[in-house]
Amino acid sequence: MKKRGRGMACMYYPLGFTSYPNPSAAFAKYNPDGSATVLTGAQDIGQGSGTVLAQIAADTLGIPYDRISLIYGDTQAVPMDAGSVASRVTYIAGNAVKKACEQAKSILLDVAADMLGVLPHGLDVADGWVYLKDFPEKRVAIADVAKTAEVGRGRPAQGHGTYNPATTLLDKETGHGKPYEAFVYAAQVAEVEVDTETGEVEVLKIYAVHDCGKAINPMMVEGQIEGGIAMGIGYGLTENLVIEKGHVLNPQLANYIVPTALDVPPIESAIVEIPEPKGPFGAKGIGEPSLLPTAPAILNAIYDAVGVRIRDLPATPEKILAELEKLEKEKAK
Amino acid sequence: MSPVIGQRLPRHDAVLQVTGRSLYGEDIKMPGMLYCKVRRAGIPHARLIEVDTSAAEAIPGVMGVVTAKDVPFNAFGFTHLDQPVMAQDKIRYEGDAIAGVAATSLEVADQAAKAIKIKYEELPAVFDPLEAMKPDAPKVHKDNIPTHFTVVHGDIEKGFAEADKIIEERYTTQFVEHVHIEPHAQLAYYDPTGRLTVWTTVQRPFLVASDLGKVLKMPLSKIRVLTPCIGGGFGGKNEMTTEAIVALLSMKTGRPVKLVFTREEEFTATTVRHPYVMFYKTGVKMDGTITAREVKIISDAGAYVSWGESTLTKALVHAAGPYRIPNVRIEAYLVYTNNNIGGAMRGFGVPQAGYAYECHTDSVARAIGMDPMEFRMKNCVVSGDTLPTGQTLQNATLDEILKKLSSMSGWKVAGGDGR
Amino acid sequence: MTEASTHHIRFTLNGSEVSADVKANDTLLNVLREQLGYTGTKRGCETGECGACTVLVDGKAVNACLILAPKVDGRAIQTIEGLAKGAELHPLQKAFIEEGALQCGFCGPGMLMSAKALLDEIPNPTEDQVRRGISGNICRCTGYAKIVKAIMKASRQMARVGGEGA
Repeated sequence: MKKRGRGMACMYYPLGFTSYPNPSAAFAKYNPDGSATVLTGAQDIGQGSGTVLAQIAADTLGIPYDRISLIYGDTQAVPMDAGSVASRVTYIAGNAVKKACEQAKSILLDVAADMLGVLPHGLDVADGWVYLKDFPEKRVAIADVAKTAEVGRGRPAQGHGTYNPATTLLDKETGHGKPYEAFVYAAQVAEVEVDTETGEVEVLKIYAVHDCGKAINPMMVEGQIEGGIAMGIGYGLTENLVIEKGHVLNPQLANYIVPTALDVPPIESAIVEIPEPKGPFGAKGIGEPSLLPTAPAILNAIYDAVGVRIRDLPATPEKILAELEKLEKEKAK
Repeated sequence: MSPVIGQRLPRHDAVLQVTGRSLYGEDIKMPGMLYCKVRRAGIPHARLIEVDTSAAEAIPGVMGVVTAKDVPFNAFGFTHLDQPVMAQDKIRYEGDAIAGVAATSLEVADQAAKAIKIKYEELPAVFDPLEAMKPDAPKVHKDNIPTHFTVVHGDIEKGFAEADKIIEERYTTQFVEHVHIEPHAQLAYYDPTGRLTVWTTVQRPFLVASDLGKVLKMPLSKIRVLTPCIGGGFGGKNEMTTEAIVALLSMKTGRPVKLVFTREEEFTATTVRHPYVMFYKTGVKMDGTITAREVKIISDAGAYVSWGESTLTKALVHAAGPYRIPNVRIEAYLVYTNNNIGGAMRGFGVPQAGYAYECHTDSVARAIGMDPMEFRMKNCVVSGDTLPTGQTLQNATLDEILKKLSSMSGWKVAGGDGR
Repeated sequence: MTEASTHHIRFTLNGSEVSADVKANDTLLNVLREQLGYTGTKRGCETGECGACTVLVDGKAVNACLILAPKVDGRAIQTIEGLAKGAELHPLQKAFIEEGALQCGFCGPGMLMSAKALLDEIPNPTEDQVRRGISGNICRCTGYAKIVKAIMKASRQMARVGGEGA
């Protein structure tokens, strides 16, 4: 018989390392043609930091996204970064990039103020222009300012920035301390169907609500959520590296089972966008948290469907059948 | 003004990706490049007596072989300097590197790696972390428990005394591999001026540069780590693996040397997500108030600490779950075994703890007959709440998230029964 | 060591005639990547499980790591490098970009070639058919949602263009 159930799970997760410093650094410069080059130590590993950091730079520098060149991937040439780990890049490297861009921008505004005959604090940048905030018609192209700054005033519009979250170590006895600066939260609901004859579980649908602060790129946030859920399905139901007496018995994808397109159900995701005051443009992070609630939500749904709780991952058909059998015996008593 | 923030922009390199022009680790080539294979231990625990490379070196096309003897400083690790580049006097798991071979073709390198003779004396091994904690267990290192932690918050005894019901459960998790679709790939070139350039597929290039500097005893000004496009990481590419072996082979041969892991090596000789054994005990009142939660976590580090300590601290801090619990005690132990090395993997200790605390929280809700959604809405942390570590939360959003999830999924919490 | 016998093979690669001297045990994947420099086709497992090396042989999607090179003599091979027509991207490529279908992108070339084979056979697939069509290609990053969406979008786009052309 096939039985349906639903289950849920919550999670919270920090941005950055536990307690230890994990700084990011960045460098930004306006080029004399009004484009910009930004150097970061943060490595894009497919998660999209190369795009998100360029978006942060474009908005801060006031120039179009396609005129930003973001450079990374060379330890001799780019500023240091603690790494594309710990869901830290948007928040920490993003803050570093923003600070570097702000420093470049402040030089640009100084020079523009001089060119326009106004005070720098009345100016801002957008769409390739430096303009007077209260009277946007008074403006000058960033390209002209950047060129003047460099070749006219000898003061290139460039800057650097670093960011490191404020944390403390944990007390050795009590474990007390402030190991993280900011957290993200999420909760998911899984709907499943369990076949009581075979023990097989089909995940029918996942609802996922995640907080990532302000979403710099909502498409990429969704992508992280969807990818994390797929990994969570594998973690909950199929993935198991079998190591017996130190020997890996299934070192191939033929019998280490990761989810395919047929194993991932429709996903309905939503982002609760509550800006984090310390994040760049209010952003936090999403990389790791997306997978955290999935496996427990599925296992709770299995319990809801057939009344067995699997306390050893993954919830394979064999384990479910064994627990169902135990349940039958208990009932018969 | 058209803000770029909040726009659904495609990846900066999307056109390269869809046309097959992105250059990943294995796509990087240099003229005169040699191919590397690493010989692995293949046994879980042994005293290493001798590594005889003579038969390998005699094979035509083999240009160089390196072993532990060639490593200037043969230890690395983020929190514990316990991991050798290549095994020195002891083998601690099957995936331990024993030697590296550079040859003019991959086939020859493979043949030579197999021709290396390892003389060893097998030692009693331990594979279960609970067994490894016992005083008479075989020792993987000097002490099988490299680290343990405690978090204490409130008065746990008082908390359990106040409870109407106490629920106790044991949860366990498995070994998990990252399965980034791109295998690790490395290309090293030590040039005649003494500068080392290493292309490698890592998430933390600066850490790899720094570790290379330590094990090779070279100044960082002479080490340049370059990263190609990276085909996924998920924590599996957090640290140095065999870069030093490839670098040493380039130093020895004067030629660029390249190594690409096979899928089998990804499964047998790279880090995995730590299996955890977790004991959860929660006291609850019939109205749904959680009075106490006690947690004990035992993490199987495998042969080396790697990220074992840092994953465990993250699990420790989050182990009670995002709930308002006045009395908490959490204990966590990291334990060496002769299994594969536990490392960083997406979630860094919290997927294990999260699985346990969320299934356990469900059990607690059901034990008092309360709907799981309602139970979480009642107990979830909000801004101003204090975590077991004493940290006060700011900008907590879980209450908003649960409201949204309830309406989105149709899991209504009306009149308390939730259905 | 005995030398494996060599074969001189000729085949069309993305529409152009090519030839190569290959060993009997060389895989198509090795010949493409190592001999011909077509590195767009990726090596993920070499056991036909991950799908990263998917190419089209006479229009059918196959794992290049499982095909021995001598077997492709006289046949037509299409790889990711031949999917666009010059600078004009294939509708699948455009849809993959617009929908954010790829993250690390390593599965992308194989995924796109499987999708091409699917749409060549079934121009208007259902979502289930799309999922089946790419079930031999593992993506570890995206959870497939945006890949499926992109393939569906491309199929609609191609149907529209085809309709206008008819």
